[in-house]
Amino acid sequence: MLDRWKIPLLLSPALLLIVGLFLGGLFLGLIGSLGYMPQLGREELSFDAYRNILTSESFCLSFLLTFYISFTSTVIASALAIIAALILRRHFIGRSVINFLFQINLTVPHLVGAVGILYLFSQSGFFARLAYEFELIARPSDFPALIYDPLAIGIILQYVWKEVPFIGMILLANMQTFGQDYETAARSLGASRWQSFRYVLLPLLTPGLLAAALIVFAFTFGAYEIPALLGQNYPAALPVLAYQSFTDVDLNARPEALAMGMIIAALSAVMIVGYARLARRYVRT
Amino acid sequence: MTMVEIRIRAEISRDGLSGPTWFALVLLISWLILPLIPLAVWSISRSWFFPDITPSAYSLRAWRYVFSSTSEVLPALGVTTLIALCATLLSAIIGLPAGRALGLYQFRGKSAVELLILAPTIVPGIAVALGLHVVFLNLGLAGSFLGVLIVHLIPTLPYMVLVMAGVFANYNPEIEAQARSLGADPFQTFYYVTLPAILPGLLIGSLFTFLVSWSQYILTLLIGGGRVVTLPLLLFNFASAGRNDITGAISMIYILPGVVLLLLGARHLTGRNTAAESLRQI
Amino acid sequence: MTNVSLENLTKFYPGETMPAVKNVSLQVESGSLTALLGPSACGKSTILKMIAGLLAPTSGNIRFDGQSILRLPPDRRDAVMVFQNHLLFPYMTAGENVGFGLKMRHRTRKEITQAVSRMLELVQLAGMEQRKPSQLSGGQQQRVALARALVLRPQILLLDEPFSNLDANLRLEMQQLLISLHQKLGTTMLFVTHDQEEAVSLSSRIALVLEGTLRQYAPAATLYDQPADREVAKFFGAKNFIPGNCTDGYFECALGCLALPEEASIAGKILTFRPENVILGTARNTENSFQATLMSKKFLGSQTRLELRKDAVTFQALLAPHIAEPLMEGSPVSVHLPRRSLWVLG
Repeated sequence: MLDRWKIPLLLSPALLLIVGLFLGGLFLGLIGSLGYMPQLGREELSFDAYRNILTSESFCLSFLLTFYISFTSTVIASALAIIAALILRRHFIGRSVINFLFQINLTVPHLVGAVGILYLFSQSGFFARLAYEFELIARPSDFPALIYDPLAIGIILQYVWKEVPFIGMILLANMQTFGQDYETAARSLGASRWQSFRYVLLPLLTPGLLAAALIVFAFTFGAYEIPALLGQNYPAALPVLAYQSFTDVDLNARPEALAMGMIIAALSAVMIVGYARLARRYVRT
Repeated sequence: MTMVEIRIRAEISRDGLSGPTWFALVLLISWLILPLIPLAVWSISRSWFFPDITPSAYSLRAWRYVFSSTSEVLPALGVTTLIALCATLLSAIIGLPAGRALGLYQFRGKSAVELLILAPTIVPGIAVALGLHVVFLNLGLAGSFLGVLIVHLIPTLPYMVLVMAGVFANYNPEIEAQARSLGADPFQTFYYVTLPAILPGLLIGSLFTFLVSWSQYILTLLIGGGRVVTLPLLLFNFASAGRNDITGAISMIYILPGVVLLLLGARHLTGRNTAAESLRQI
Repeated sequence: MTNVSLENLTKFYPGETMPAVKNVSLQVESGSLTALLGPSACGKSTILKMIAGLLAPTSGNIRFDGQSILRLPPDRRDAVMVFQNHLLFPYMTAGENVGFGLKMRHRTRKEITQAVSRMLELVQLAGMEQRKPSQLSGGQQQRVALARALVLRPQILLLDEPFSNLDANLRLEMQQLLISLHQKLGTTMLFVTHDQEEAVSLSSRIALVLEGTLRQYAPAATLYDQPADREVAKFFGAKNFIPGNCTDGYFECALGCLALPEEASIAGKILTFRPENVILGTARNTENSFQATLMSKKFLGSQTRLELRKDAVTFQALLAPHIAEPLMEGSPVSVHLPRRSLWVLG
């Protein structure tokens, strides 16, 4: 019968497409980053592009900035998401409305959120106007720079805004599967409310939380449009720098752009491996 | 249940929230809603200069512009919708069989396949698109509708596969055997039995897939090369150019499908991990 | 009505070393209600699925009235299967479910409506066309599933443990219904079950399948009294296996020299008899009588189980409680084993 061929047959269209486009794209990026550009007559491979970017100040600053942005926004978003999930799992009047509002920005594209943050926090934005109204500032430029700023506060605000509901929904779903029996047991064994959270609920949530955090980290590390809109020009976030190098008139910058792309991909590969590990552990518990 | 347990249970799942908790909750929710408000207000304001808290004059100028025949917004809306629809349709056709294989069967190498399908949802699109660019250029796909459509499949397809795998995990294939036994041919079985059974999941999956394509920015920018103009590209340009009123109006149009999706009751699904995770793409 | 014959049917599942079904040959007579009995996972459902065309046999053949049907896809076989789980299509009404197969055969709407209402009446669900499966009870759902298959007047109806999800009372009711449907319609039916009572009460002939092979195919009473081998006997609850030698119509063993019925006179080494056929009490000086010691008694409700010993051999008897009552543990009893109740295993 067809039994033996059924599964490969069902999988092959999707796998072909993913292998061809996704792995193919990564492979082409890899050989391109090694200087393979037949259209320019270059066919020998070298690590020049990597050597160049790793010794350039702009790349290193950009890498550190991007890492700092991803790390900070992931940590803040995770912490706020835990608090939000702890509140939202309780029963209270208006819970369904609050739940709906909590999820509303899950489907709002990042770019829209970035523009919203821009209009709220720029030096002529809503909060600057409020500050003027309360006579805290006299001119727009007195308002602290939160957009295009070296600390990338605007970018972090945007990521936190977008990711809190994402992580929060995953945590809520996890809490629903565990129920409250473990905590009840802990409390009857003499744990305080804090202790039953710290030693019972939090360990239960950790795999799901870490998995969500890894996804968020990988995304924020490779997102282009948010830092492009809210970030300063130098140092720019890594994806912005990569795009700039790629579109540079000097075609010699292309291998460097591709090398940056590879570094982003490598970092997300680490996240995927971590995610797979967690997912496996998660299934076992 | 002992008295102690009842008391503890009541304490853990206390009904109602304390004052400070309410305050924290309202603060959080306001923060989540807040960025959308200036966009809505800007779209109907005529002049709103520093330091006015509210616009000094309102008008529908931005909306009139958006819907005028000379603006780029309507064509961009059309292109964005068409790409998203085609990407959804292709993802469904290609992803449904794969979702079935992953949802129904255990086989060697399954976790590797799952990981491979999951990977494009985590690896940032820019890393893949930079590499694909040259090939697309050589194939004449760069800067074309078709090229953008194909590259959109990278994030949309995995998502459809994962949703359909979830759907098929709760599906009993014996119902197809029953239909065949009752005299339905393979096509009839799919149309009368399989399709109705998976339709709710397929619809939700399609809506999310649509949104994933709808939200793409960098893939469209890189492969479309500015020649395939979708709403987010236009939005970015107007935002960087400081046309706040038009930016606001485009934003309102741009978030519409997502809000509709939520209102349609997808919130039942967002509680599930796969669905929430896939929203990551948006 | 169709004669169904299975010829040396064998099925290997991919990746497994033991066949799920091994060399099964079976003739299902036209118009009969035959049970395919066996413990769970013995291969009986696999046999059914091969007849229905849902699985392809590794080797062997299946013929309907002499014609091989192996090349026909399931929808063209006219061998309709009813599953353990009713598998009603949830988004269709009961009527639409029953009419499904006719619709697939492109019958006219009028024809379908008539056939459906007649069939629903037969399964005592007249007028329930508009109900959704979720609005029906478990028994009603299974009846709709039966109607959905029978409305097609299949050459053979294959039932895969259709009542095992129902509670005991409902199961009896459904068995009655199935028997009456079989009488009214005369459809050839092959019924898979792991419940020997169900098999015995439903069908005239039982095919016993153990570990993928057909062990015995005979009327129910034969399986009880004249099992083909020790496993068959055990499956039907035989407890007494006495070793010895068979000579010339007599069985020489620890219980004495016992006279055998004529049909049992084969050269076997093990004597078996059902505990309920043992006669105790009044001493009789006839053949196959001897003294034994009553070791223990256990009241089981409608019967009492006694354990008896003669020399080194113990055996069981089942008696009505009021007969067993006066018998004292540890005291001798006289035992009579009627000649017709004895059987020798090869």
